[in-house]
Amino acid sequence: MIEDLRRLEREALAAIAAAAGLDELEQVRVRYLGRREGRISAVLRRLGRLSPEERPAVGAAANRAKTAVAEALKNRLAELEAVAAPDRDGVDLTLPARGRWRGTIHPVSRVIDDIWAIFRSLGFTRARGPEVDTEWYNFVALNTPLDHPAADEQDTLYLGPGLLLRSHTSPVQIRTMEQYPPPIRIIAPGMVYRRDTYDATHTPAFAQIEGLVVDEGVTFVDLKATLAEFARRFWGPGTRVRFRPSFFPFTEPSAEVDVKRVIVREDGADEETDWIEIMGAGMVDPAVLDNVGYDSERYTGWAFGMGPARVALLRHGVRDLRLFYENDMRFLGQFR
Amino acid sequence: MKVSYRWVRDVAPGIGLTATGAIERLARRGAPVEEVVDLAEGLGDVVIGRVLEARPHPNADRLTLCRVVGPGGEVPVVCGAPDVREGACYPFAPVGAVLPGGFTIGRRKIRGEYSEGMLCSERELGLGEDHAGIMLLEGRYEPGDPFAMAVGLDDLRFDVEVTPNRGDLLSHVGIARELHPEGQGGIVLPSLPGMTSEPALSFARGSSESGSDGCRIMIEDPALCSRYLGVVVRGVTVGSSPRWLADRLRAAGARPVNNVVDATNYVMLELGQPLHAFDLARLAGGTIVVGRARPGESLVTLDGEERPLTPEMLMIRDAKRPVAVAGVMGGGDSEVSERTVDILLECALFEPRRVRATRRALGMSTDASYRFERGVDPATMETAVTRAASLILAVAGGAPAGEVIDVHPAPWRAPTVTLRPSRVRHVLGVDFTPHAIAGLLSPLGYEVVERGRDALEVVVPGHRSYDTLREVDLIEEVARTHGYDAFPETMSPWRPGTVPDHPLFRLEDALRAELAADGISEAQTPAMGPARHGDVPLRNPMSRDESHLRRDLLPGLLKHVERNTARGVRDVRLFEIGTAFAPVAGGPPHESSRVAAVLTGRRTPPHWSGRGEPFDVYDVSRVLGLVAAEAHPGARVAPAGTEAVPHPYLPGRCYELVTGAGKVVGWGGEVTPSAVDVPPWVGAVVGAEVVLPEDPRPKPGVTARDLPDQPASERDLAFLVPPDVAAGDVLGAARKGGGKLLEAVEVFDLYLGDDLPSGMRSLALRLRFRARGRTLTDREVDGACRRVLWKVKEKTGVEPRT
Repeated sequence: MIEDLRRLEREALAAIAAAAGLDELEQVRVRYLGRREGRISAVLRRLGRLSPEERPAVGAAANRAKTAVAEALKNRLAELEAVAAPDRDGVDLTLPARGRWRGTIHPVSRVIDDIWAIFRSLGFTRARGPEVDTEWYNFVALNTPLDHPAADEQDTLYLGPGLLLRSHTSPVQIRTMEQYPPPIRIIAPGMVYRRDTYDATHTPAFAQIEGLVVDEGVTFVDLKATLAEFARRFWGPGTRVRFRPSFFPFTEPSAEVDVKRVIVREDGADEETDWIEIMGAGMVDPAVLDNVGYDSERYTGWAFGMGPARVALLRHGVRDLRLFYENDMRFLGQFR
Repeated sequence: MKVSYRWVRDVAPGIGLTATGAIERLARRGAPVEEVVDLAEGLGDVVIGRVLEARPHPNADRLTLCRVVGPGGEVPVVCGAPDVREGACYPFAPVGAVLPGGFTIGRRKIRGEYSEGMLCSERELGLGEDHAGIMLLEGRYEPGDPFAMAVGLDDLRFDVEVTPNRGDLLSHVGIARELHPEGQGGIVLPSLPGMTSEPALSFARGSSESGSDGCRIMIEDPALCSRYLGVVVRGVTVGSSPRWLADRLRAAGARPVNNVVDATNYVMLELGQPLHAFDLARLAGGTIVVGRARPGESLVTLDGEERPLTPEMLMIRDAKRPVAVAGVMGGGDSEVSERTVDILLECALFEPRRVRATRRALGMSTDASYRFERGVDPATMETAVTRAASLILAVAGGAPAGEVIDVHPAPWRAPTVTLRPSRVRHVLGVDFTPHAIAGLLSPLGYEVVERGRDALEVVVPGHRSYDTLREVDLIEEVARTHGYDAFPETMSPWRPGTVPDHPLFRLEDALRAELAADGISEAQTPAMGPARHGDVPLRNPMSRDESHLRRDLLPGLLKHVERNTARGVRDVRLFEIGTAFAPVAGGPPHESSRVAAVLTGRRTPPHWSGRGEPFDVYDVSRVLGLVAAEAHPGARVAPAGTEAVPHPYLPGRCYELVTGAGKVVGWGGEVTPSAVDVPPWVGAVVGAEVVLPEDPRPKPGVTARDLPDQPASERDLAFLVPPDVAAGDVLGAARKGGGKLLEAVEVFDLYLGDDLPSGMRSLALRLRFRARGRTLTDREVDGACRRVLWKVKEKTGVEPRT
């Protein structure tokens, strides 16, 4: 009897799957679950005639078969309805939806937005400065003498004597500190310019984000803690963060910050990426604080700078930076 | 800085790190390795082969038929070189070997003779450019041994990224100092092949001038050259270097020249001290004068270039003329050559900034200038000059003549810096005891002495005397050697800052959201464009296409419309937020933040239910309105008239955005076809650009109105509007006429048809009337409609359509 039920269930499920239309599906339903002729229903009706020993097992099997078949009927019905032919008013649900243009925010702007959201929650505000600036703000006030090899690292676009397109967002540090007393807790996103030719990793104009914290009692430990916290919030809690000694004329000690992200592979397993350099950072050099008239014995600070385009590159698996600036609608349209 | 890891280990026995460990440690010390080159790469199949017999190939004039002993016994080898030496060893690639570059050696028949392998030239092995002959291996070798091991090529070359403050790392000793557990204490310079005991050189010292053995040296400008050591070596034989020396230099990425020059380069790469050898016979009067160039002088440097000189440049001169650019490059005329017999070896210390200014003025950079700019160790000079002299004796023969001429205007004294442990804590956030600080700094060569409570006196070693002259520099050394990883990551409480969030960012965020929601995508274009796009020229532009700072954003966006359509994309909707630049006499240009947008193609995505209508000026009007609502509350979009329409808009199809104060802050409209180069299938291109306020005020908040509790009455009116009357004037008059009861006017139809008189338009308005607190009677509404008709007639002369 239980064998029969299994066979019936198999037959019914096959018939349901094969049903090509609503009418055919209804015939299948009647054949197996119909009140009068339904073959599974019939078994259930005959339960009363079974011995009390047999009854529970067969009853349970029959109910299971009935439930399984009913469920399959319901699912197939939903499927068939979804592809139903046009009704009398000519409405055909299989036709394409009516669209609306959707605009997208540039992937680099989105990275800046996401970075801002994290630093905002850590008490930062946003500051800005001019894109054309002077050698004083871009180099000298930042403890970078023009006759020092450090000034070579950035090939600068000049407008005239002493006047240039800023080669980094760090001049905003100086301008902000000149205008406001400590404590300072800002980030400064903005465009910067270098004499670079276009290639897969360079463009002459690109976005940068500066960060600056100055207060009493600010230490290297705070720098590490805040930037590591940022990295884990941005790239996920499993992210590892590494600080390496480096050199920037306006910070000391200086650090390069690398992250190792955890990405989910196609097979669902976690995988760690290689170390990726994501920003430069360091304790504000006391000479910089002196240049803006802050008491460098009393106040300490830290700063960082990062390139959101590079972050966007990694985030979206883009191989060539130039794609971000070609503004092809088909490229931009992907960033919903 | 390219270093041979084997060389690094040779100068500091007991480094005890694997290559991977060394790379890791260098990264943690602030000198990451950018590239590792395995020098034996591709040479795994090459062995030592000894030629037992070499005779001319019976059927070819230029080939040699050899019998070579390799790993598998004797084999016949046909060789292209004419001068194969019997009994000598050569690199040998047996049958089956794969050479660098992927060439596989097979058994071949050459002019009737079998050849089972190949004797290789340097070039075939990727070791050098020399392909004239096969590579003769001098010395004792065992046939069959792996070639790379036998000649010391089982080495790794690290390309170390050295930051501009770390001149001390521009040598193998400098790198070794960071790697050896005892640091400076682990450095032991090895004796080199052929070197007898160091020659006992005495020093003939003078403060501005000195001499020995008929040679005189004088420093004219002690501010630019703080010490000059010169040694005369007589009777050298200039020729090629022994293999070990050439191999060493190549392993560190340098090119061997001749034994004397190679010896100076060796010591520079080992100790970081640039050295130069002059042909003494070519120095007029046997004299060296360190002084400025004279006006009008020039010098042919040893790269063959004639360099015009200026009196700002420091030169090495003989009795008559300049013979070298100090710290940059020697002159071609006094260069060491095969004819050279006596040399003057120079070991000097030049002022970094002057070397940098000079080499920049000359547009060149050399290994020497690179090191002088970053600071050469003043305390290593005597070691360097002695070592270079003895290496020259070892590889080129000759004998030192007289004493080392030592002109030393002011003896170098190691700087001292006071370091407060309390300040270390203040900056780093972690306590370091004086003992711990000394433990971290001493291996780097610093001497640390306690001088009372909270004061350490730190004596800075020569190799760090350019970079660590302030307390904070030493704090960095403490952090660096302690290891950044070892610092905790504990968040401390913070105070909010005094800087308000700049309101322009908030405005930009709002505009991005609004415009994206309107279906427009954000673009980013560079602020530089061709001359026709801007009035602020760059002094050193990269190209003519990016020679000026843009005056507007729109031309850049139009270029991207062109790019998109050129790729077959017909629906283009782009906006950009960025900076535009206007020249200001005698000052930096004025910068204004702008938002600009361009639209072309269909207003909605293609759909079977209707054809997508193209964008037109009414879309621009909407976009301007959207931007105005965020950036210029209260501003209105108005037709710009037909005169004085700015480029690139079409007259009569242009709006302006006017603030409440009457200032025009934006434009928009249809773009003149000549201003955008697109294929003919592209329809109208429309665009707009708005200047954003420098300090935008927050958008006014919304005060909600109660919903009306009385029903409204609606009436439709149609007007026959002649071509010379603006629809806007009709609407304005209708609003006036409707008075307080008129709640809203909607244009619900605009009809231009053949049944209308020529040029006439039928403008259909739906008027909605409502009064607060009571229901309007039909009489009141009819009366209001009459007043509307009357006002329209009065103001515009337009009649209702009947």
